[in-house]
Amino acid sequence: MEGITEELQSRGDPKLTAVHLRIGEMSGVVREALLFAYDQACSGTPLEGSTLLIAEGSGRELAITAMEIEA
Amino acid sequence: MSEPRLVEVRRNVLKKNDLLAHELRERFRAAGTRVISLVSSPGSGKTAFLQKTLESLRERCRVAALVGDLATENDAERLARAGVPVRQISTGTVCHLDAEMVQRALDGWDLRGLDLLFVENVGNLVCPSSYDLGEDLRAVLMSVTEGEDKPRKYPTIFNTADVAVITKSDLAAAVEFDRPAARASIEAVRPGMKVFEVSAKTGEGMGEWVGFLIADRDEGSHHTER
Repeated sequence: MEGITEELQSRGDPKLTAVHLRIGEMSGVVREALLFAYDQACSGTPLEGSTLLIAEGSGRELAITAMEIEA
Repeated sequence: MSEPRLVEVRRNVLKKNDLLAHELRERFRAAGTRVISLVSSPGSGKTAFLQKTLESLRERCRVAALVGDLATENDAERLARAGVPVRQISTGTVCHLDAEMVQRALDGWDLRGLDLLFVENVGNLVCPSSYDLGEDLRAVLMSVTEGEDKPRKYPTIFNTADVAVITKSDLAAAVEFDRPAARASIEAVRPGMKVFEVSAKTGEGMGEWVGFLIADRDEGSHHTER
């Protein structure tokens, strides 16, 4: 969330509509748990109202790959 | 309102912890301190095993321990009985240690006086796997009372560990522990993994483990960042 907030700030705080993540099988991160917690965790932050899109990564990968913004 | 625009970001989410872990590793290296972390499920005997390990090592080199728990300082008190410096990390509601907690716990500690530092993680086989603590060696424990398929059920933690330790071997017969099945389970998730079998109660297997730690330290090879 910090990472996305920084990215948004560096672009003049546009409205965020989606965040793209890549999660590897061995990252120790559970896709369902992230999706479950996402809305709650984002409420009251610049990420509020955005959608989390998760793609399958490799190994221990856990990375934000892209975000969708309204210019 | 304009159409949403896709912006490429490329950010590693655990980057902050990885950077801190890297700093810690540099600090340990500079001080000549070798760091061994222990991970396992709750109740698999980490503290008893560590207490015995510290007692066996204290005559031969300078050792200390950090121990993580959600609440209580019970483990630190138990470990302090081994007569070595021990610090407790209380994580509150957090189910794992991260590099920042280790860094904070080391505040004001002169590492140059230490040969080996042990870090006992919170009892949990899931979350600790994602956090590099800057350690040189990660040991994952499983007790004979837990079921032989633990490695297959929690492959991530076994994959981030360097060695496996099967604990409470004195109970193996009583619980009909299936040794070949346990070994096969470890082998299936981490082929070639070095496995120790110990009893902190009887001391069985502790000599081999302690001998390995000393040889590993003398050899001075540092494991890769996890």
